[in-house]
Amino acid sequence: MKSLFTAVALAVMLPVVALAAETAQVGKPAPAFTLKDESGKEHSLSQYKGKVVVLEWTNPGCPFVQRHYTAGTMQKTLAGFDANKVVWLAVDSTAANTPDKSAAWRKEKGFSYPVLQDPSGTVGKSYNAKTTPHMYVIDEQGVVRYAGAIDDDPRGNKKTGVTNHVKTAVDALLSGKPVPAATTEPYGCSVKYKS
Amino acid sequence: MTQRPVRRSSWGALFFFAALGLCLGSGVARAQLPATAMGTGAPDQGDPRVEAALLTDVSQVKPGDSFRIGVRFRMDPGWHIYWKNPGDSGLASEIVWDTPGTTVGELQWPTPITFRSPDGFITSYGYGEEVLLFAQAHVSDKLTGSAQLSAAADILVCETRCLPAQLMLTRNIPLGSETRPDPEHAPLFDEALSRVPVTPESSGHVVTLALDTKPLTAGRPFTGTLTVTGPKGQPVPAVEKDFFVPERVRGLARLALSPVEGKPGTFKLEGETAPDVPEQEPRFVGVLRLGPASVGRPSLTLDLPLAPVVAAEPGAAGAAPVVKPAPAPKPPAVVATAVAPESSLSLGLVLLFAFLGGALLNLMPCVFPVLALKAYGFTRTVHAERGKVVLHAVAYAGGIIGSLLALALAVLALRAGGHSVGWGFQFQEPLFVAAVAAVLVAFALNLFGVFTVGTDGTALVEKVDSSHGLARSAGEGVLAVVLATPCSAPLLGTAVGFALAAGPATVLATFFMLGLGLALPFCLLVLVPGLAKLLPKPGAWMERGKQLLGFALLGTTVWLVWVMGGLTGVDGMARLLAFLAVVGLGAWLYGLAQGSTGARKAAGVAAVVAVLAVGGVFSLRFEETGPAVRKASAVGEAQPWDEAAVAAALEAGQPVFIDFTADWCLTCKFNERTVLTREDVQAAFAEHRVAFFVADWTRRDARISSKLAEFGRAGVPMYLVVSPVSPDKPEVLPELLTSDTVIDAVRRASKRMADAR
Repeated sequence: MKSLFTAVALAVMLPVVALAAETAQVGKPAPAFTLKDESGKEHSLSQYKGKVVVLEWTNPGCPFVQRHYTAGTMQKTLAGFDANKVVWLAVDSTAANTPDKSAAWRKEKGFSYPVLQDPSGTVGKSYNAKTTPHMYVIDEQGVVRYAGAIDDDPRGNKKTGVTNHVKTAVDALLSGKPVPAATTEPYGCSVKYKS
Repeated sequence: MTQRPVRRSSWGALFFFAALGLCLGSGVARAQLPATAMGTGAPDQGDPRVEAALLTDVSQVKPGDSFRIGVRFRMDPGWHIYWKNPGDSGLASEIVWDTPGTTVGELQWPTPITFRSPDGFITSYGYGEEVLLFAQAHVSDKLTGSAQLSAAADILVCETRCLPAQLMLTRNIPLGSETRPDPEHAPLFDEALSRVPVTPESSGHVVTLALDTKPLTAGRPFTGTLTVTGPKGQPVPAVEKDFFVPERVRGLARLALSPVEGKPGTFKLEGETAPDVPEQEPRFVGVLRLGPASVGRPSLTLDLPLAPVVAAEPGAAGAAPVVKPAPAPKPPAVVATAVAPESSLSLGLVLLFAFLGGALLNLMPCVFPVLALKAYGFTRTVHAERGKVVLHAVAYAGGIIGSLLALALAVLALRAGGHSVGWGFQFQEPLFVAAVAAVLVAFALNLFGVFTVGTDGTALVEKVDSSHGLARSAGEGVLAVVLATPCSAPLLGTAVGFALAAGPATVLATFFMLGLGLALPFCLLVLVPGLAKLLPKPGAWMERGKQLLGFALLGTTVWLVWVMGGLTGVDGMARLLAFLAVVGLGAWLYGLAQGSTGARKAAGVAAVVAVLAVGGVFSLRFEETGPAVRKASAVGEAQPWDEAAVAAALEAGQPVFIDFTADWCLTCKFNERTVLTREDVQAAFAEHRVAFFVADWTRRDARISSKLAEFGRAGVPMYLVVSPVSPDKPEVLPELLTSDTVIDAVRRASKRMADAR
């Protein structure tokens, strides 16, 4: 009974909290959220306090996301971090997405992190997520420290010298330095929000 | 416009169709387009969503001639490609040319349309249906045979889904003895060109941007007003939906315009800076669509300077409950032009500047009459009452410092009332000018012997009573200050500018040091024993010298009358002269009364008061004339200062010289007459096409006050030299100009421009 009450309260409160926090802004606290992943497990941003959290807005149907997953950009970036200090969460705000699709995508590409389900788009909009991929890096205190593109190669045709903005941001945070470029222009498909 | 062909379902169909066209000769020009110049992309379940063609506006070109080259994209219904700023999502269309022997210029982008997701959350900019992205091309005159043209297009084609497409298009254009337009495609280029935005200058529009706050703060929203006036001042039409498309601007997170209700041509600007301080000052860049091109209303391409961005103060404005110290904000790359170095002055340095500035004021033309007067007074005192010399010096210094502190308090009071004031501000007030002129005339008449002060009018020199002498010394100190304020000495502008922006204690301390500096020469005269003895001995010459000094004061009055003319026009000048005549009459009557006793004396004094009161009431009514009555500047070709006009001149590649001046500022007038109007300076201005602006601060002008404050100054003169290459970094010239300083600065501004080319 008590847990039911909590669940109802949470369900009522959640959008309010998201609204109260307005949208994610670099230098401000990240909007709180609780979302289920493709296996039904709940993830709250607050439970990862003390770790650097990378949020990746994703959509398996987007050619830009496909390109990066084929090249292993996200997987390799995560592999370069200390697993005890960095958490990676994919978020799919595509209205037409289902947990099954995410599960199949995860299996096909073989990545370890969960795909949070946000078909209503509430969390996506609270983060002002506009593209897939759209990346956010949140520091140990829950403050947004980076928002933007995964790298500086929108066309995927740079042979060398690609800067991975997420890697740069996380490395800076872990070594206690300011993030060199706190925002970049994200590129990719638009997030297909429910309308 | 050619009619949109039906969608082809596969490559095979395309080739079939093209082959059919060739066989039937259905269109000569269409038939000339080789298959390699056409392509399709973004296959959607085998069905291409876009087709592209490499077009030129010529069918043959003469070596050395120019032509236009472009790629025409045709999208399926509902699908679109992107503008150079794709907006919230998408990818800018890109065309890479490979044209040996032919140089291709910058890609021309017709004004895009705005796409919104159904919920309005995501906005992007691009082209649906059909668009021709083109550029000017120039064939080398050494090229023979044919010009090989190839274009690699990298585009993203989106509906709800997005499909990337890379297309490679090639063709050859034959070279010949003459350039022949392509009758089918040339009109397509003309049509596309009519959709490309034009600069406001080329279309006769005037665009100005005024920000509500400057500088901008990183990560914060800002607002402003954009106004657009049509050619010859005609109003611009009301705009339709989605009339503005911003370009991607480094340092800005958001940029939006909304029309102001009932005011066509006026737009509210709302933007937000990125959280990082950008290396360069961001600009306002975008396209403003004034109406459909089909009715002859152009789109304007806007590129206006915004303002420098400074870092937000750490921990300010709603920062999160951050436990760990937030990463130190980067020091602002370039803080508001010249303010940075001056604002970083330490208080000690400012006080030193104030002291030195005050001392230098003694050499300024405004203080000179008092200086002479004081020298005269000292000559008498030094020899008559040696013991009291120090007391006189203290009284003189006290008068100076006391009146400066009073001035500081007045400044603080005005500032507390929300007024913006600067050094010399009181000369913007006609009544103040009239009062100073009246005091000077009365003083002169006193020196002429029309009346005497404080004694019964006999044996003035012999009966100098010490208290009167001291009061007089103090009064001379006050007069020195009153006359010194219109002269801004070097260093003084900086010090006072700093002080006026600081707290009350700093203001008082700075003005105090200023007073010490101003009093310094006489204190030296007294404190160094040998110096005072060098003064000539008193004698009969003193009476004549005294009268001569009276004329020096009248000379100063002439200048004040002229100042009044600038403030209030010819009428004001006449009123002031009438008032001064009344003052003269009053002084004369007072002098008469001094000679009598009892009731007659009382009646005389009453008559003086009556004359002054009546005369004052009738003459002291000054109406400030409108700003329209501006005198021609001492410098030819000068324009009144205006931010928009300055921006326009810079835009046109002209170096800009701005003269911040005022009629009552003698240093300004001195510079203008002795330096700025010199032939070599004028020649340098002409040679470098310098746009000369005059910011006249004779009367109150908040725009000028705030501009002065931007450079840490509280008063005029100030001279700015701006290079079109770095409009955000004007060079500030010293208060006292020399022709070399000016010519060198102008050369530098112009040279930087030459270097940048």
